[in-house]
Amino acid sequence: MIVPILALTKTIAFLIRAGRIGHGFTWPGEIALRLSGSFIRTMIQKNPGLLTVVIVGTNGKTTSAKITRHILSKNGYRVIGNETGANLMNGVASCLIGNANLYGKIVADVAILEVDENVLPLLLSEFHPNAIMVLNLFRDQLDRYGEVNTIALKWQEALATLTKKTALIMNGNDPQIFYLGKSLPNLSVSFFGLKKKAMKKRAVPHEADSLYCPECAERLTYSAIAYSHIGDFLCAGCGFQPSGIVDYSETVKSPLLGLFNRYNTNAVALMLHIVFGIGLEKIKRDIADFGAAFGRQEIIAYRGRKIVIQLSKNPTGFNQSVEVLEEFDNAQKGVLVLLNDRIPDGRDVSWIWDVDFELLRDLADRIVVSGDRAYDMAIRLRYAGHNRGRSKGKDKLDGVTVIPDLTAAIERAVELTPPGDFLFILPTYSAMLEVRNILTGDEFKQKTT
Amino acid sequence: MTKKGKHSLKIGWLYPDLMSTYGDRGNVMILRKRCEWREIMVEVTGITLGTDSTEIDSVDLLFMGGAQDRQQEIVKKDLIGGKEGFLRRAIEDGTPGLFVCGAYQFLGAYYIAADGTKIEGLGIYDLVTRTPGRLAKRLIGDIIIRPRIEGLEELFVVGFENHGGRTELGKGLAPFADVVHGYGNNGTDRTEGVVYKNTIGTYLHGPILSKNPELADYLIRRALEIKYGGAPVLEPIEASWEREARDTVIGRYIR
Ligand SMILES: [Zn+2]
Repeated sequence: MIVPILALTKTIAFLIRAGRIGHGFTWPGEIALRLSGSFIRTMIQKNPGLLTVVIVGTNGKTTSAKITRHILSKNGYRVIGNETGANLMNGVASCLIGNANLYGKIVADVAILEVDENVLPLLLSEFHPNAIMVLNLFRDQLDRYGEVNTIALKWQEALATLTKKTALIMNGNDPQIFYLGKSLPNLSVSFFGLKKKAMKKRAVPHEADSLYCPECAERLTYSAIAYSHIGDFLCAGCGFQPSGIVDYSETVKSPLLGLFNRYNTNAVALMLHIVFGIGLEKIKRDIADFGAAFGRQEIIAYRGRKIVIQLSKNPTGFNQSVEVLEEFDNAQKGVLVLLNDRIPDGRDVSWIWDVDFELLRDLADRIVVSGDRAYDMAIRLRYAGHNRGRSKGKDKLDGVTVIPDLTAAIERAVELTPPGDFLFILPTYSAMLEVRNILTGDEFKQKTT
Repeated sequence: MTKKGKHSLKIGWLYPDLMSTYGDRGNVMILRKRCEWREIMVEVTGITLGTDSTEIDSVDLLFMGGAQDRQQEIVKKDLIGGKEGFLRRAIEDGTPGLFVCGAYQFLGAYYIAADGTKIEGLGIYDLVTRTPGRLAKRLIGDIIIRPRIEGLEELFVVGFENHGGRTELGKGLAPFADVVHGYGNNGTDRTEGVVYKNTIGTYLHGPILSKNPELADYLIRRALEIKYGGAPVLEPIEASWEREARDTVIGRYIR
């Protein structure tokens, strides 16, 4: 059965590439899974030598996957992985198809698979990976994922089916994930986290979810907070608090800005150390020349300006982007905020009210707003105080310009940014893909030459 | 027009730390700013675990948002432990209020969850909510409604709904609005929310007041009227972005 499925789906994959059909990456996998529900299981069984690393969490999957791949490649491993955004079962299946020959043989040593929150249980019912990195769990697209507690419960059920052969690398500073790890005493669980002195916040920001003890429902207190609900927590009711946390972040420095990236780097270092036996000093050296992942802090030179794209797809991600702006120490900062409400973004834009845009007020010199829901974002910014000149019923807004058309908005934002300065683009997922196309695609080349 | 600096309102935000999942805190930000822009003094007081129940007596406008089931349990324990009577009296005596999604359901008689468990509500609103079962689809998407509130009948109110429960109003209760696009209370009778005394219960997120400032001003006006008497007139606030945002959604469904 596997040979005809591979022959068919590989042909389809070829046709998609030949026809340059965008977003067609998941079709071969989708078709394979419809023909054989256990396609992924079969492929994994056919390749007993292939090591599998699964990455799950609300934020940081792509960055962590890319850092892992970077270091493993430098250590002589042949690495494959699913493409950004193709993190459902069909994306995993497509990745296996693309890297297999007609008989299902995959010529690679490691598969790094980033998977969607809801997909983890499905994937684990197909095979048991060598390692799973559980990064964090935040509020994200409630219309699609449901509530955080519900996902944590599903993960717990799925992880409980594993054996000691799977190394679990879990965030010990995320109360819900730490609790999840503690509930699996018969498995090999390791916790990563940061030392208290690296955490700068004292108050829990609004978007945080896990404020109540997962054990006894008492309110958690924090002696320090890294970001969102990630920090050094304590339950006064039952004494629930992080313990046995490994922090490699002082040796292996994060190649990217933001405390959240220190967590990602830390998780990767711990996993590589435990599962692949790579020494910390080696990891430290190998990470030094890492370049940013697609749409995550990559800097694009565009008409003499430095454009930083920072994916901002949920409240925690957005608040993190605001912090990255803080870390960029230059006087003039333009910001372009892009809000879409397509399926990959989540149809509900209510979440922008959980972001503390009030903090952006002192960081951005100019803000241009665009995307399908540009006006929703503009209203949010108005109420966050980005309209200093507003009075007497007039709509004179000093700080904010609304241009729904993306190309026009980019043009305007670039114009407003003096040459040599930074323009920060904060897009939701589908807007990130669009903006990259515009900035790096043919349209861009024509305009600059 | 309201006289500058002459008026003040106290907004009671019920369980801001527990019942605020879907960006609903925006409603409080909006009410606050729209008062401040008109130089109406505002104080927002959080009413949560550990707050004295009598604080409810001191507020002019109530707000409560939705939450995860687990947090709702904690809230319920706290309300039944003391604040319930105060909240009931405030609503019955005519304090204006806005109750969104989980809070709206919670003010009803009871809620039947997907697994069949019955969760008692406060019974202030004569309504019941049932989730038809684990496999029943959630009612999710953009929603457009027309309020049945005097002075707002011509308005298209736009928001986003996301609820598993189907709500049926008791005979004596009036819905907040009629559904133009979307599901509303139950997806069948084309009604949305409830109006009871001076409070509104609704499923609309967005947050609801963000694209519908007329509704925010209605609540502010009502609160001023009850506190100071007369017929307060609010200074108009420019709203072209709100109109554009609303038209973006309306344009997708109504031609
Ligand atoms: Zn506890």
